[in-house]
Amino acid sequence: MLAMDQGVVEEWLSEFKTLPDSAISTYAASLKDKGSLIPALYKVIRENYSDLLEPVCHQLFEFYRSGVPQLQRFTLQFLPELLWSLLSVSAARDPHTSGCIEALLLGIYNLEIVDKDGQSKILSFTVPSLSKPSVYHEPSAIGSMALTEGALANHGLSRVVYSGPHLQRETFTAQNRFEVLTFLLLCYNAALSYMTPTSLHSLCQLSSRVSICGYPRQQLRRYKGISTRLTVTSEFLVQLITGIHYALCNGEVELGSKALDDVLYRAQLELFPEALLVGNAIKSSLHSAALKSNNREGGRSIQVEITPTASRISRNAVTSLSIRGHRWKRHDAVDLGSPDELMDISEVDEGVWPGAVGPDMTPPTITISNSTTTLNLGVKAMKKCWLGGRSSKDKESGPLTTGRAASENAELSVKRLTLTSSQSVPRAGALTSLTRTASVVFSRSFEHVASSNPAPTSNHTASEAGRYSCSLQEERMGYLSPTPNHTQRSPSISIHLGSDL
Amino acid sequence: MTARKSGSRLETEIERCRSEGQWDKIPELVRQLSAKLISNDDLGELLLGESKLQMYLKENPIKQASSPRGPRPKLVEVRKHLTAALDRGNLKADYLQEASLLMAKICYLEGEYKDALGHYSRVNLDDMQLVGAPVYRLSMIAEAYATKGLCLEKIPASSPSLSNKNSGSPSPNRSPGDREQEIITCYEKTGDIALLYLQEAEKALSAGIQNRSPKPGPTALDLELGYFLETGLQRAHVIHFKNGNLTQGVGRFREILRAIETRTTQNLRMTIARQLAEILLRGMCEQSYWSPLEDPPTVSPLDNPTKQGYTYSKNYTLSRRPRVYSGENLFCPQENTEEALLLLLISESMANRDAVLSRIPEHNNDRIISLQSASVVYDLLTIALGRRGQYEMLSECLERAMKFAFEEFHLWYQLALSLMAAGKSARAVKVLKECIRLKPDDPTIPLLAVKLCIGPLHWLDEGEKFAKMVIEMGEKAAEFRAKGYLAIGLVYSLKATDASLRSTQEEYQRKALGAFQRAQSLSPTDHLAAFYLALQLAVSRQIPEALGYVRQALQLQGDDVHSLHLLALLLSAQKHYHDGLNIIEMALSEYPENFNLLYTKVKLEAMCRGPEEALLTCKHMLQIWKSFYNLTNPSDSGRGSSLLDRAIADRRQLNAMTLPDFSDPDTGSVHATSIAASRVEQALSEVASSLQSSAPKHGPLHPWMTLAQIWLHAAEVYIGMSKPAEATACTQEAANLFPTSHNVLYMRGQIAELRGNIDEAKRWYEEALSINPTHVKTMQRLGLILHQLQRYSLSEKVLRDAVQVNSTAHDVWNSLGEVLQAQGNAAAATECFLTALELEASSPILPFTIIPRAL
Repeated sequence: MLAMDQGVVEEWLSEFKTLPDSAISTYAASLKDKGSLIPALYKVIRENYSDLLEPVCHQLFEFYRSGVPQLQRFTLQFLPELLWSLLSVSAARDPHTSGCIEALLLGIYNLEIVDKDGQSKILSFTVPSLSKPSVYHEPSAIGSMALTEGALANHGLSRVVYSGPHLQRETFTAQNRFEVLTFLLLCYNAALSYMTPTSLHSLCQLSSRVSICGYPRQQLRRYKGISTRLTVTSEFLVQLITGIHYALCNGEVELGSKALDDVLYRAQLELFPEALLVGNAIKSSLHSAALKSNNREGGRSIQVEITPTASRISRNAVTSLSIRGHRWKRHDAVDLGSPDELMDISEVDEGVWPGAVGPDMTPPTITISNSTTTLNLGVKAMKKCWLGGRSSKDKESGPLTTGRAASENAELSVKRLTLTSSQSVPRAGALTSLTRTASVVFSRSFEHVASSNPAPTSNHTASEAGRYSCSLQEERMGYLSPTPNHTQRSPSISIHLGSDL
Repeated sequence: MTARKSGSRLETEIERCRSEGQWDKIPELVRQLSAKLISNDDLGELLLGESKLQMYLKENPIKQASSPRGPRPKLVEVRKHLTAALDRGNLKADYLQEASLLMAKICYLEGEYKDALGHYSRVNLDDMQLVGAPVYRLSMIAEAYATKGLCLEKIPASSPSLSNKNSGSPSPNRSPGDREQEIITCYEKTGDIALLYLQEAEKALSAGIQNRSPKPGPTALDLELGYFLETGLQRAHVIHFKNGNLTQGVGRFREILRAIETRTTQNLRMTIARQLAEILLRGMCEQSYWSPLEDPPTVSPLDNPTKQGYTYSKNYTLSRRPRVYSGENLFCPQENTEEALLLLLISESMANRDAVLSRIPEHNNDRIISLQSASVVYDLLTIALGRRGQYEMLSECLERAMKFAFEEFHLWYQLALSLMAAGKSARAVKVLKECIRLKPDDPTIPLLAVKLCIGPLHWLDEGEKFAKMVIEMGEKAAEFRAKGYLAIGLVYSLKATDASLRSTQEEYQRKALGAFQRAQSLSPTDHLAAFYLALQLAVSRQIPEALGYVRQALQLQGDDVHSLHLLALLLSAQKHYHDGLNIIEMALSEYPENFNLLYTKVKLEAMCRGPEEALLTCKHMLQIWKSFYNLTNPSDSGRGSSLLDRAIADRRQLNAMTLPDFSDPDTGSVHATSIAASRVEQALSEVASSLQSSAPKHGPLHPWMTLAQIWLHAAEVYIGMSKPAEATACTQEAANLFPTSHNVLYMRGQIAELRGNIDEAKRWYEEALSINPTHVKTMQRLGLILHQLQRYSLSEKVLRDAVQVNSTAHDVWNSLGEVLQAQGNAAAATECFLTALELEASSPILPFTIIPRAL
């Protein structure tokens, strides 16, 4: 350590002691102008055997205890370096040197876990809920989508404790070490915006080293310090990742991404789901943001561009929203009966078509057009239709239709149905999936009909067979159509299966 | 449209078309208009000019970041109309202003920025009335501000002509800061008025629809923001962020988001909400945060210090502002994570709505877009909730992401991890299977699955399959290969413990040993490999070899609690009780709250230092338990509340549960013999791990189980001291918690024995066995009692069964020997005694298997 650095540190040590209480706030503000002091302090912490370490730690604690935010942050900026010092010494099983660092860290911890009245501090936050109005939204505008079972279970806002209460600690033990250190990192992360680039740098370094020491990757990183493995906990890694995330987005791109990789590497080896979860999320979100490393001088890599306000998703695509608008509406001719009947039918599996279909079957006329239920319900309604059709056969005594002819025609029409949807309507994507569902269902039901009517009966001619017509119409779903006579027609599919009798 | 309309109705119709941007209808309306009155000609010119200009813009949209230049031939006609309207001067003042604004817009389109500014200064934008203005005019004013801002940005700052022509500022020496300020003010005004316009337009639209057609036929038109409004709405915050002025940018974001949404702004809101959440998570911290309803701090670390020279201050007021969300009990975030979460939930609900479900190739692009915008939101949600340890809620959110997840590894994997973190183990394994299918080369995924199978689920067969996957990857698994062997070793080791046939047991033990040896040789610096090898050796009673490996493990990881514990047990197996106790005390100095160590300590103390010391330790344990679980906050409720609160709530169900074995070979991990018991433990461990966000983790055991165990240990010490009354009291405490536990019943039997009530003891033991038929200790005691009652053959049967379950229980062998001897079978008895003697020589004070085995 250079004599000059030593001088700076000694001056800093003596200056604060002589300071009157009234001058503390101005002193705190002036601290950041002492250019050579901070590097000198880092050196003191790194060189474990320095005589200055003890008074420095003591003074840093005094700073913290003063309660002046600037002084507290001054101390906090050294936290990553202090943590590394503590961990590397404890890994090297060299108990005597880190005593004052331990005392400093425990001191900060014991101050932070209690509030002003000396009660255990509990850090909690409110989990926002879309079902309660906020400054940014109204529940009604969100619609029913968000009202899932989970949302209903947590209806309303709930306060959740995320840290605390914690026990006062006199000494570090293997058991409480990471509990204390995790909490200290939480305090550090709460002041991240105030941390200097050097401190963030040191945090990234700490993260890398803690994660890789003693593992094969240590060679890759060419770190030659201690080579024993350090135990870590998942929560500790999550806190480290939070800090790294900030560093990554605020200038320390290279070191930050290296640190993140190292922490993820370790989390994989330890099979820590929490750390993997958050680390993966950060990686993937930064990947899509495509960080550039050249905005160092800009400092922050938070960039905002003008984004188009129009939806980038084509209007014809079936989305969760658009599919909500579809309901398979029954035709008036089909008697649907009461809604609880609907329930019964929904339980009937497609394959199980109860009873043989008599020869006097009249194919149902089904019109499907959209309104407002889910597809799910739509399918049920369709099944209902078949059943309705089936039951209606008992009442009607029209000419008979042969099963095979019916099925052939139905298959034909099903084919046509799919063709229409993909050819004549170029942007009918919204419909194809529906159509597909419909066609599957239709063909299946008719197959069944066919099998239950094994042979055409002689007293029916082919001309009597039901002629099915199938038409698929699709209006543009768009709200703005070029020609006025074509505007504002809601999408509708109408599948017409009618027999000329 | 052929029918003639009366004058006022015609005007309303024109106004409506202008508000709704139906420019194609204007020419026809103008034709009708001019047919009515000659003085309407000027208005007609204005309207035609406007409609042609707008149509032109619709057909030739301006791209972002492109600057228009040069005269446009198509605009000549527009200019002619407008000049005609302006020149004759017959127009009403309002219309005159409108014509000027349109002229300025043409000037901008042709790159004549100064001329445009000239028009604006003549009109004096700030004087235009917002109150009572027709809807279309709001849009015009907003566009005018935007265009003005664009012009100001285009003209170089030093341009001398600017200050002359510009209206508001007479001083010629305007600093760049002032200019910047003026530009931003223009854009912010654009934004505010544009939002107001959209709200009003939508209101008019919906009212119009209701009035005009009762049929639900034509749905609402989507208003489109043109280039000018789109730019104007966003340019202000873009400039703020470009200047490193985070506080102002965030402020602007919040203003836009607080305005009541319209259909047109939905996408913008979704984007801005996500961007603001990003900033809150990436660039802010708890200390630098201020709530949306507070004034921003004057000095903030968020603002770029290098550009401090200029600070923007908002200094305008508008006579009308967009309506904002209001009302009583409005939730306003008080913390950056809260705000980020709220924004992300809003964003998520919108992204979810846009999920493209169809999988046909034409919609590939749409699907990718919707997937991307959603997965960004889900990643940010993960970051926010992960920070706060809310994995349960996160897993629910990610569950909603599943509609995007077809063949998307990242979403599946994140869901699996969140389920795992939330303690929903069974489901996590199912999702992990899908992850393995999507990414069969990643060894981490099957390892995560084994971890769950070995730990909370105790699905050993499944675990074996997963572990084999890792091993089959061979060299590809790299550093995870050793872990794979470790995993399969643990599976075999646990299977050996579960096995009821001695041959199967030995087979699995052999396999486990082999796997651990392989793991150890692949990764000689991994203390876990050495440790599990030592543990496995210890279980098969190879004490000296086990000692060697446990020392090795301790060299690698000096303060590993399980290694220390194993060392102590190994020492006790060699009858070095004092050394063992010393090790335990040393370990306790590092892990003062580890109950497992404390149980062993109680045993060793009773052995070395007498029962009084052991009782003190029991008391100490009770204190630790209390300080641990009592240290909770009574005020918080709902999710994530204190462990004790949850525990109390759970107590109602406890009556139906059994206490799992503790001083039995199966405490460390779940034993499968008693299926009911293991199910209970599984359920409890799910509860316990779902609480981990707020409470420290202490193994899979429920706090109440820990308490019951402490009481039973104390009871055992009292029995050792021949104090049945105290032992009964302790047992009663445990029985209050777990009345049907076989351990409690076993203890009652022992007390009865102590009191000399052989029949009562027998009854208790039989009850214990009816709950857990493989409880070896009970079997041994029952065997002894039957022996005393001279029912030798039954006694022999019970003891033989016990030996089948656990072949290393030396006291069972001993009892069996006694029974055989009493039956006169001296040879077999001798063999039994010899076995007992041999086993006793290597028997630890507590079974080695109390040390948990987990990956």
